[in-house]
Amino acid sequence: MTVQRVNKILLIALLAVCAIWLIIPFTMAVLWSLVDPSEPWTADKVLPPVMSLFRWTDMWENSSLKSALIASYTLAPSAAILSLLLALPTSFALGRISFLGRELAKMLCLLPLVVPPFITAIFFTSLLFQIGLSSWRPGAILFAHSVLFMPFAIRILTVSFEQVRQDHIDAARDLGASHWARFKVAYLPALKPGIFATLLIVFIQSIEEFAIAFIVGSPDVVTIPTLLYSALGQDYVRPNAAVLSLILVVPNVLLMLILERLLRSANPTLSSGKG
Amino acid sequence: MVAIKIERLTKKFGDFTALSNVSLDVQPEEFVTLLGPSGCGKTTLLKLISGFLEPSEGSIKIGGTDVTHVPPEKRDTALCFQSYALFPHLTVRENLEFGPRQKKIPASERKTRIDDVSEKLDLTAQMEKLPNQLSGGQQQRVSLGRALAMRPSVILFDEPLSNLDAKLRDQVRIEIRRIQKEYGLTAIYVTHDQAEALAMSDRIVVLNNGRVEQVDSPELLYHAPKTKFVADFIGDANIFSGTIVGQKGENIVQVETAIGTIEFETPTAPTSKKVNLCWRPESAVIGNTGIKAKVVHRAFQGHFTDLMVETNGTIFRVQAKRVEAQEGDDVQLSVAPNEVILLDQSA
Amino acid sequence: MKLRRGLLIIGLLTPGLGLILALIGTVVYIAVSQSFGYYSLNGTNEFSTEFWSKMAGRKAFKRSIQYSIYIGVFSAIFSVALAYPLAIWLRKPFAGSNFIGAVLKAPLLVHGLVAAFLFINVISYHGILNQFMQWLGIWSEPRRLQNDPNAYGVLILQTWKNMPFALLLLTGAVQSISDDVLDAARDLGAGTWDRFRRIIAPLTVSGMQAAMVIIFIGAVADFSFQVIAGPTNKQSLSQLMVSFKGRGDWHSAAVVGVSLMMIALVGSAILAVVARMVMRGRIK
Ligand SMILES: Nc1ncnc2c1ncn2[C@@H]1O[C@H](COP(=O)(O)OP(=O)(O)OP(=O)(O)O)[C@@H](O)[C@H]1O
Ligand SMILES: [Mg+2]
Repeated sequence: MTVQRVNKILLIALLAVCAIWLIIPFTMAVLWSLVDPSEPWTADKVLPPVMSLFRWTDMWENSSLKSALIASYTLAPSAAILSLLLALPTSFALGRISFLGRELAKMLCLLPLVVPPFITAIFFTSLLFQIGLSSWRPGAILFAHSVLFMPFAIRILTVSFEQVRQDHIDAARDLGASHWARFKVAYLPALKPGIFATLLIVFIQSIEEFAIAFIVGSPDVVTIPTLLYSALGQDYVRPNAAVLSLILVVPNVLLMLILERLLRSANPTLSSGKG
Repeated sequence: MVAIKIERLTKKFGDFTALSNVSLDVQPEEFVTLLGPSGCGKTTLLKLISGFLEPSEGSIKIGGTDVTHVPPEKRDTALCFQSYALFPHLTVRENLEFGPRQKKIPASERKTRIDDVSEKLDLTAQMEKLPNQLSGGQQQRVSLGRALAMRPSVILFDEPLSNLDAKLRDQVRIEIRRIQKEYGLTAIYVTHDQAEALAMSDRIVVLNNGRVEQVDSPELLYHAPKTKFVADFIGDANIFSGTIVGQKGENIVQVETAIGTIEFETPTAPTSKKVNLCWRPESAVIGNTGIKAKVVHRAFQGHFTDLMVETNGTIFRVQAKRVEAQEGDDVQLSVAPNEVILLDQSA
Repeated sequence: MKLRRGLLIIGLLTPGLGLILALIGTVVYIAVSQSFGYYSLNGTNEFSTEFWSKMAGRKAFKRSIQYSIYIGVFSAIFSVALAYPLAIWLRKPFAGSNFIGAVLKAPLLVHGLVAAFLFINVISYHGILNQFMQWLGIWSEPRRLQNDPNAYGVLILQTWKNMPFALLLLTGAVQSISDDVLDAARDLGAGTWDRFRRIIAPLTVSGMQAAMVIIFIGAVADFSFQVIAGPTNKQSLSQLMVSFKGRGDWHSAAVVGVSLMMIALVGSAILAVVARMVMRGRIK
């Protein structure tokens, strides 16, 4: 009884904190994004005096938002696919072949997560200058993203490969399946959730990535984070920044929800051996 | 003075009543066993005594002090977990020392206790190992030793032998009893194995559906069960309901049952005409008088033979030494009136 | 046969691990070389420790180091300190615990820059916090909270963003401790604090170390929170490095970058060791 009461009190307290932590900031952002330029929102008013979607349409038509969206949303899926393709062979080796130094190899795959992103960004640019590829910006960003987020891809796919059941492979072989058929019946079902998870995670990471896009890409390539950064810095107009922030958050939340679904549904099918 | 006094204890989980109105006195240095089928509330009672659960009603006194609302860390009890619950990151010695350290017992005293316990439990060679380097039986003994090192006034066991193989179980069972006597501990022991309960206990508490059915010594429980449930749960029993048809002599009552007339001995005649009777299969004597029955199944068990016999469509069990009758044969059997037990009417 | 197998494995590892090693290796190699005067973009290409000695003499550099370590260490400590009690509280599911978990982990979904904007929006001069305090009558006039000199703003943001990550790691670790083990400790006389110190902490130390190290590395190299919400009179190492690079001074940027890497490495090793020592709880 008492434990339940304590939990209830804690719960209410925590929800209050969460309101402060999440609801108030986002409400403020939404309100600011609706401020009409005809009359400013001054400190003495609880709500903006005139509300309209003007900022949203204005940002859409008269800023680099459109090109940033295009850049981000072509870069992210490409990086996700490239990262997946590059990671597959390594994951296969780490997940299904036992060899000396496998654990070391697994550790080394995590390296990009340990080196601070701005260091990678700056000296990758330096490298590009050295080899004379400094004008090849979109490609460079794509390459860097695919490699830097590969640790996630390798991690997830290695686990997937480990979960492929040897008896399924053997059974397929026993029944005379070709390489491709074997892959289709034994590997693919077990790998599918891992592949989706990889694509989504790399996608989200790439959409959010700032250091590389900022350092390598500037000034030609503008992605949403770099646009937001400049909207928060040099040309800080609060309502515009609010619009951009909201645009950056929404797809993330949606994608994460999908990811969570996916990861939850992935496990039972694997453990029950349905794959 | 009683060591543990439990009064009208009730525990509800939401709408479900796990224990209802349980009262029990345990004497100092007594070994009491809680016995009952799965889900009858044994663990719940143990958790109430050790303090992990708070009762919905009733009170618990340990050594004369009311501990009903005292948290487990402040109670003078030690619990041996069914799962051992050893601390995986601590060595055997550190596991044994954990309790005494919490109690702030001085180092020298601690050492004597640990040495004593480890020697008695034959753990001296394992002291620096981690739990996952021990065999099941050794882990069991560490868990026991950890509780014993507390020198608690009450020690509680929750099915401590259920994970051991048969041989080790016998060994540890004897060990537990020996140590309990040697340290003069009051012990409450949970099991659903009736043989274990009969073999170890001073007294047995039979629980069913959260209620106490009977509290008695093993002998009395076996020879004088009070209810149908107890008669059936402990050992084998033939249970019949019947109607009193007459009296023979001073205190022998005759009852008409499905298999014929059965006589039983009682100092005071029952108040109602309808009665429940029971007798143990080994009480029957096969001879030339009594109830006629046909053997439907025969199993030789070594020191006795187990027979299932049938009379008027009712099947019951008989055990005897040297039985010539084969399956399909007719036999006659009788039960001495003082071997027949009158059960409570309610059940 | 053996050779073929070896070649196969190397072949398989090349596109993944190989590329990772190549990229990170070159990046680190270039950073180190440039810090010693090589790979100059304008002519000279010889070994010199000039850039290191010049940098070591700079006040701004020292202050950046101190400042970055301050941010890294406190972000890691605050995040973990906040996540521990929550993880223990959420160990057993209860009505609403899933929802709380989701709410607590929400910051994982919010980009750091967005978080910074939301935060500034709340604490700005005419922001809701100032208005609220004035309305309560605690403050008589709005205060300037943005870019505070002690970088509390940056610490709050770092903690906000990183706590969910620590929570994720610690919940897993705490949930793997069985109820019976905790009950046993309780039965043997351990109160709430002792149970934490002697049982939970030592059994979750590796999860905590991982959280500490990863958060430390991220926060020590912080750029965007610092630029947007940090004190204007201090620079983080990343910020310093970017500004050198912006001026085309690659060698100085390299010196800062290599220092940053070393601080990240050494710092996380120290943090991990200290965490282990504090949390060990082993009885000697
Ligand atoms: N926390 C709880 N919430 C709800 N019901 C519970 C709880 N704990 C126990 N019960 C119920 O109380 C009853 C008694 O449980 P208890 O664990 O005491 O059984 P037991 O006699 O120890 O059984 P076993 O021999 O299987 O261990 C069971 O029906 C169980 O489902
Ligand atoms: Mg039980």
